Amino acid sequence: MGKARKAMSWIAGGIQVTLGALAAVVAFLIHTNASLQETLAISFQEVYLYMLLLLVFGTFSIISGLLLVHRENNGN
Amino acid sequence: MGIKMKENRLKRELGLLHTTMMGIGGAICAGVFVTLGYAATLAGTALIIAMILCGTINLFTMLSYAELGAALPSAGGEYTFAKVSFGGFLSFATGWFEWISNMFYAAFSAVGFAYLISYIVPAINVPLVAVLIVALFTGINIKGVKETGLTQTALVLILLALLGIFIFWGFYTTQGAAPLTIEAPGGFLGVLKASAFIFVVYLGGESIAVAQAEIKDPRKNIPRAILLTCFALIFIYTTIAFVIFKIAPPESLAGQSSPLAYVAEQLMGPLGLGIITIAGIIAALSSVNTSTMAHSRVAYALARDGYFPKSFFSLHGRFSTPFIAILIGSVFTAAVAATGIVNFVTYATDFGFIIGFIFVNLSLMRLRRDKPSLYRPFKVPFYPLTPILGIATSLLLLFFLDPGTLLIGLELFIFGIIAYYIRMVGYFRIYNAFGGINFGISAFSALLAYLIMSNSTMIPLTRDAQLLFFVVAVLVSIVYLGAGLLNITKKHE
Repeated sequence: MGKARKAMSWIAGGIQVTLGALAAVVAFLIHTNASLQETLAISFQEVYLYMLLLLVFGTFSIISGLLLVHRENNGN
Repeated sequence: MGIKMKENRLKRELGLLHTTMMGIGGAICAGVFVTLGYAATLAGTALIIAMILCGTINLFTMLSYAELGAALPSAGGEYTFAKVSFGGFLSFATGWFEWISNMFYAAFSAVGFAYLISYIVPAINVPLVAVLIVALFTGINIKGVKETGLTQTALVLILLALLGIFIFWGFYTTQGAAPLTIEAPGGFLGVLKASAFIFVVYLGGESIAVAQAEIKDPRKNIPRAILLTCFALIFIYTTIAFVIFKIAPPESLAGQSSPLAYVAEQLMGPLGLGIITIAGIIAALSSVNTSTMAHSRVAYALARDGYFPKSFFSLHGRFSTPFIAILIGSVFTAAVAATGIVNFVTYATDFGFIIGFIFVNLSLMRLRRDKPSLYRPFKVPFYPLTPILGIATSLLLLFFLDPGTLLIGLELFIFGIIAYYIRMVGYFRIYNAFGGINFGISAFSALLAYLIMSNSTMIPLTRDAQLLFFVVAVLVSIVYLGAGLLNITKKHE
């Protein structure tokens, strides 16, 4: 049970960190890439709102993923 | 007195000259070499007035730094002032912004240095050179504060000599000798906008306060060095602006990547271009040096008070420098410098520095009220008008910042809140809180997946894009549900 739980924590934590990093990259691309803004039908006024949402999501995901892995490794 | 910081084991080795050079070198960064062109289009020749205005705004807050620095000469600068005045989260947030801002500032300066070198040697690898220069100044900073101060003094004296040649040549040349008239095409609003834009060239002088635990005779030297830095900067920038407009009209500076280098070339030919390029390189180097010292001392002070891991508080056995704080901060600095997104991220430094300005003025006012008997070797004149003006002008500058800057500032603030609570609240509650948020994200993603497949999102997406978003939403929903369960089910040990 303990090993399975550890493996699941590593997988879930790893995916969360990856998704968080991807969200941060997408936020950066939305800010800099006009054609992506057009593809996603994001108006100029909405760019910063989308960036904020993605960056908050990304930050949370990275920290949540790291905490999950850290907890399983240290058992606290 | 009632106010005592914990032990201070750092060596007091910086005299008045080293300290003043630390302030001037921290402020004269690559920014002054590139920002003047756009500022001139906003304010015209009234940029000279904008320079004096910015210097005066800077002086309001620097007077507060001088009073607090002389009264509380412990490591940490703004963070230490906020800790003694407010304590708790406010002091942590001040230190957090200060730490992050200085690391980004060091990365920005290192990349600026590498770009300037690439003008001379185009074949170099810019990120690699930036990382190497961070590594070099990490070594110098670990070696000792005396070495850091000596390096800084040497760099700034050469920088001032080069700028001095440019200014004197400009004053005594007969070229462009038509009388200079002050004109502001955009009116006073244009001058204000230009002031907000170029204010960055005055930032960095507060690094004196960060290094105050290593300054000899701090009660005298801190106020003197801060005031000398302020007046020297006003003089240098105003005379540079005067020479620029003597040689070239404002409209000719607009498209120049380095207006200062352009004017120097007009004035002195290739020699001028060389002088200003070398000056830019030295300015960037001294900024890396100062910011490396600043971020490590803030981390050291945060660790002293339990906000950061204790290892940041340890000093090198031989050199008496906070080598772990220097090393970890420099690794982060080098990583940022190597990514090439420094221009985007460095806006956060403005936000962090301005927030720091506001807290310093608030700390001054709070301490004057709560600790009237605290020994103050230097006192801010015209109190409370001066700190109030400092706060008002800092808030005004925040309004003129780019929305992206504010967004990055907010993001850093969120990081700070999370770091604070992880450190202060304890892991068990944090896991439960994260578990709850994971459930929320999972439910929201499931709803989003349903809306995407039922075409209810109001966003005109292609079929492929719709499928992609649906798959991502389902994946997020499942993973975050699992993460939430894992977070809340393990028993606290």
